[in-house]
Amino acid sequence: MSPALIIQGLTKRYGSLTAVDRFSLELRQGTVFGLLGPNGAGKTTLIKMLTTLMRPTSGDAFIQGESIVTAGKRVRALIGVVPQENNLDRYLTAQENLVLHARLHGMAPRDYLPRIDRFLELTGLSSRRNDFPDTFSGGMQRRLVVVRALIHLPRLLFLDEPTTGLDPQSRRALWEQLRTLRSEMTIFLTTHYMDEADSLCDRIVIMDHGASLVDGSAQELKERYAHAHIYELELRRDGDRYEELFQLLPQVTSLERERDSFRIVLRDEESLKPLMDSIQSGDIRRICLVEPSLEEVFLDLTGKMVRE
Amino acid sequence: MILRGALSIFGRDLIVLRRSLFSELLSVVASPLTLYLAFGVGLKGYISQVEGVPYGVFIAPGLISMTAVLAAFEESAWSMWFHRRVQKTIEEYRVSPITVYDIVIGKLISGFAQGAIKGVAVALVIFVLTPFSFPLRNLGLYLLFISLGAMIFSCLGTICGTVIDKPENIGRIQAVVIMPLIFMSGIFFPLSSYPPSVLPIISLLPTTALFEGARSALLTGSCGPLHLAILLVTAVIFFILAVVVFDRKIEE
Ligand SMILES: Nc1ncnc2c1ncn2[C@@H]1O[C@H](COP(=O)(O)OP(=O)(O)OP(=O)(O)O)[C@@H](O)[C@H]1O
Ligand SMILES: [Mg+2]
Repeated sequence: MSPALIIQGLTKRYGSLTAVDRFSLELRQGTVFGLLGPNGAGKTTLIKMLTTLMRPTSGDAFIQGESIVTAGKRVRALIGVVPQENNLDRYLTAQENLVLHARLHGMAPRDYLPRIDRFLELTGLSSRRNDFPDTFSGGMQRRLVVVRALIHLPRLLFLDEPTTGLDPQSRRALWEQLRTLRSEMTIFLTTHYMDEADSLCDRIVIMDHGASLVDGSAQELKERYAHAHIYELELRRDGDRYEELFQLLPQVTSLERERDSFRIVLRDEESLKPLMDSIQSGDIRRICLVEPSLEEVFLDLTGKMVRE
Repeated sequence: MILRGALSIFGRDLIVLRRSLFSELLSVVASPLTLYLAFGVGLKGYISQVEGVPYGVFIAPGLISMTAVLAAFEESAWSMWFHRRVQKTIEEYRVSPITVYDIVIGKLISGFAQGAIKGVAVALVIFVLTPFSFPLRNLGLYLLFISLGAMIFSCLGTICGTVIDKPENIGRIQAVVIMPLIFMSGIFFPLSSYPPSVLPIISLLPTTALFEGARSALLTGSCGPLHLAILLVTAVIFFILAVVVFDRKIEE
């Protein structure tokens, strides 16, 4: 089967800032794909280009073989979009929002009315269908936006941070919903929740500064980065002296300290011995190896500085 | 169907308009009626005849036209701005399998419909409350002028709503560009009041073509080919401009 999505060297520049930098990717049909990256990494910009909202500076992408640059209208018939910010029409009721969407997709009432009923039922919004979205909670609005993106049964569904602001119940309900959809469509989502990517996505890319850093399943990423040796070390005394000492060790690639606790990333397996040798035996209270979580992998790759 | 998207968007605007029709009409009738009473009735004793007709009759067609085109401008400008900047619903339209033409034309028809409904409302009120009357057979030609005017102003509104990010600037454009253009073009006084040196410039303004053309169409039934030609050309130019500007600006 041909890939659901092929991205070839997609680039977007805003003046001198390169928000997406020669990004390439291929997605098999039916993949649940998670794009991770810190604030400003370029996730939303990438999705905006793929959903034809923004013209790429260079490069191209193909959705079910249709070019986003030259066949925008055909691409738009194939995709569903849940934007980062809810964009419901607050002058239309929930039902009217969905009907407008269906009509924009050229659907006939006999096709969209039953489907709207079913989706509203499924997401527990049925009783509120004639209310205006203003009167909905944030989570209900989010669910409505997701339902709206599904009315025309897209082949490729884009979700930009679909679960931000949802309570744990709604998040899990949405995951369930997305899982049931995977047999019918390919899903492309971004998220800041590592547990979400871990439990939902078959494939994960972590990006930063517009480029992809790593690519693989959650398991693969964790295994690959299990080679990054992270230790937690607690000392009894002399925190300051040891901090200076550790900083001088060439085997230590990153170091964090809180009082007498250190989080030390070592270059390789052999680095442990020189580290231990540098510490006087009585000074160690506790040392342990950290099993990397996806979050560790993420932080390791993208650094710990908060983005502006 | 080619205009499916445009009609869906227009349909949405109709639903919204229907909900607020009464209050909209009430507010839209107020200002031209005030102007009519102030100038048409209040000044009646001072100005007897302008270009061979009573002053009230002279300004009535212009007030109706002005209401229609201003309504078209405001609807297009504010709605485009609101959908683009506040609700971001333009993005929802733009990820649907429709084209830029659908969006611009849909918003044009909406602006146009607002202009038509509000123009008719003002016209009815003026007819009922005042002795103003005209030969019914002239109505078709008058409506042609008004339609072109509403279309031009709707395009202009679409352009403003597309390029202007700060809402107060839409109000400024209206105060600095739109209102002077309308008042300069002979709604309240005849063009013959201008000094001969500026008259040629004034007569080439599309707004002059609109208001002069519409008035003579309604009162005398003459079609004013030059006026009609200026309006047609302006309408085409502004439509193309609206599509191009929207297409460019919206993709950043
Ligand atoms: N319209 C714009 N004009 C100029 N720069 C922009 C524009 N939109 C985004 N950027 C910049 O492009 C970069 C990528 O932004 P983008 O919104 O794609 O990030 P993101 O990964 O979605 O972040 P977040 O997780 O916060 O949503 C940022 O540095 C941002 O400042
Ligand atoms: Mg984003």
